[in-house]
Amino acid sequence: MPLIDDLTAELARLPGIGRKTALRLTYHLLKRPADEVRRLARALESVAERVRPCTVCGNLTEQQPCALCGNPRRDPTLICVVEESSDIGAIERTGEYRGLYHVLGGRLSPLEGIGPDELNLRSLLPRLGGADAGTGATAGAPGVIREVIVATNPSVEGEATAVYLQQLVRPLGVRVTRLARGLPVGGDLEYADGVTIAEALAGRREL
Amino acid sequence: MTVAPTSAAFRELRLRQFRNFAELDLRLPPAGVAIIGDNGAGKTNLLEALYYLEIFRSFRGAPDERLVRFGEDGFFARAAVDGASGASEVAVGFERRGRRKRVSVNGAPPERLGDALGSVGAVVFSPSDVALVAGSPAERRRFLDIVLSLNRPGYLPALQRYRHALRNRNALLRTGASPALLLAWESGLLESGGRVMAMRAEWALLAGAGFSRRYEAISQGQSARLAYAPSVPQAGELVDAAQAAELLRGALARVAVRERDRGVTLVGPHRDDLALLVHRAGEDRDLRDYGSGGQQRTAAIALRMVEAETIRQARGREPVVLLDDVFAELDPGRSRRILELLEEEEPGQAILTAPKQSDLEVRRGSLPHWRIEDGKVLA
Ligand SMILES: Nc1ncnc2c1ncn2[C@@H]1O[C@H](COP(=O)(O)OP(=O)(O)OP(=O)(O)O)[C@@H](O)[C@H]1O
Ligand SMILES: [Mg+2]
Ligand SMILES: [Zn+2]
Repeated sequence: MPLIDDLTAELARLPGIGRKTALRLTYHLLKRPADEVRRLARALESVAERVRPCTVCGNLTEQQPCALCGNPRRDPTLICVVEESSDIGAIERTGEYRGLYHVLGGRLSPLEGIGPDELNLRSLLPRLGGADAGTGATAGAPGVIREVIVATNPSVEGEATAVYLQQLVRPLGVRVTRLARGLPVGGDLEYADGVTIAEALAGRREL
Repeated sequence: MTVAPTSAAFRELRLRQFRNFAELDLRLPPAGVAIIGDNGAGKTNLLEALYYLEIFRSFRGAPDERLVRFGEDGFFARAAVDGASGASEVAVGFERRGRRKRVSVNGAPPERLGDALGSVGAVVFSPSDVALVAGSPAERRRFLDIVLSLNRPGYLPALQRYRHALRNRNALLRTGASPALLLAWESGLLESGGRVMAMRAEWALLAGAGFSRRYEAISQGQSARLAYAPSVPQAGELVDAAQAAELLRGALARVAVRERDRGVTLVGPHRDDLALLVHRAGEDRDLRDYGSGGQQRTAAIALRMVEAETIRQARGREPVVLLDDVFAELDPGRSRRILELLEEEEPGQAILTAPKQSDLEVRRGSLPHWRIEDGKVLA
């Protein structure tokens, strides 16, 4: 049955879901009331249509700019650079950080063909008062940002990304710090517990 | 709480569909056993299985698929051991389909495979060890990496990080990336590479005297020595990771232009060697190039004894020695002296194999003798 096969094939493309699980999910959905399945379909459609990267920070959001960028109570002199939008949640849960964010959408990984151009770096420099890597135009409010905290994962890739960022940002006269070690090496920020992240934030050091 | 015994030992072994063993259940005597069987009976296979439970791969370098008995879907191996944390049970199952390997310690999977490595404390002496001396530097790096991964906390994670950083850096060099990007990858390479080099250097300094002493004892007065031969000049003399990293930084800078041409990283721990030297006609000469077959075998055995010494020092326990027909091809005098040395220095469990009863007469006459035939052990 092509429709069932189509759905199974789509589900099997999701991370962590093999063919078997995809089949099981498909038949599960087929047994649920049609209303419930439509709700899922609408939810998927809405995120696809309305959730976009924030034009300022790259965070996934339904409004432009995102709630964090638009919040006047956030400290506009601090930017925390993370690999993925999901890392923001982990840091927010600690309640220890009041600044802004910048989401790279990944990390440098030459083996996977991910270089600086594949990351959301182009919009970071203007926020710091530097020239846009592409247009040479400066934007934002130069001099407002005091510190960039690099919170990439403690993997080899995350460390390399941090060093690369430091090279980009340092010439602009902005302080660059890195989360203290103590995060599980090779572990993802996303999965670290709040206390560990809070400690890593408090113990951040100059890169 | 169980007190860790002073000697490591394999107590029981269960094999299912491993190499030519369909089903094998053994109780191993604490002092060890001598196993006699014809060529092809399964002697090496048995030692391979025991040591598999130490490092979760074949000491012969065979891929896991090849360890599965012909026509079967997977193998299972389990041993009750007196090891690092007292009595424990180490098990591993491998399925050909999906090439899935499941390791467990006391019934539970370890958090990382690295946590389960070396849970017994054993050394294999094998005829193929001659490649340690006669083979390429890669053989000796593999030796160093296994000895240090099993006996120096932090070595394996540093090595894994180094290799990962290296692969990424090589990918950058191949595609001619910008200096800024190369520099970004350098810090991870230096940090992990410095730790690897420092631990290798420290081990070689410690192990050197023991190697010379054993070589001399076996060869009756001929002398040989062991030295770390890092690809980064001077890194052999240091024991500090930060200094080693600085030396690596300097060495990388000196080859930067050549690296860009060649597209690969030209210096670092991945290019290290362990020098095994004899003094001849006023000069140090490499055993690899100048050693006779017998001298190379002697050096290989001395290296394995140094490995046993490392285990003893790191864990405060006697290692298990697995001796696979090691006396083949050695003159009777050398065989006897090796045996004496082993009896003197390795009082732990000894599991040894030979094709003929007579090969074992002179050795550990006290050990029980078992026969092995076509994948069956007759105790
Ligand atoms: N995956 C496998 N399944 C079944 N049998 C295998 C497998 N791999 C190897 N063998 C068999 O195991 C035998 C070799 O065993 P092993 O190497 O242990 O011999 P050995 O007793 O050490 O002999 P030698 O004295 O010549 O060293 C061979 O007969 C080989 O065909
Ligand atoms: Mg054999
Ligand atoms: Zn935003």
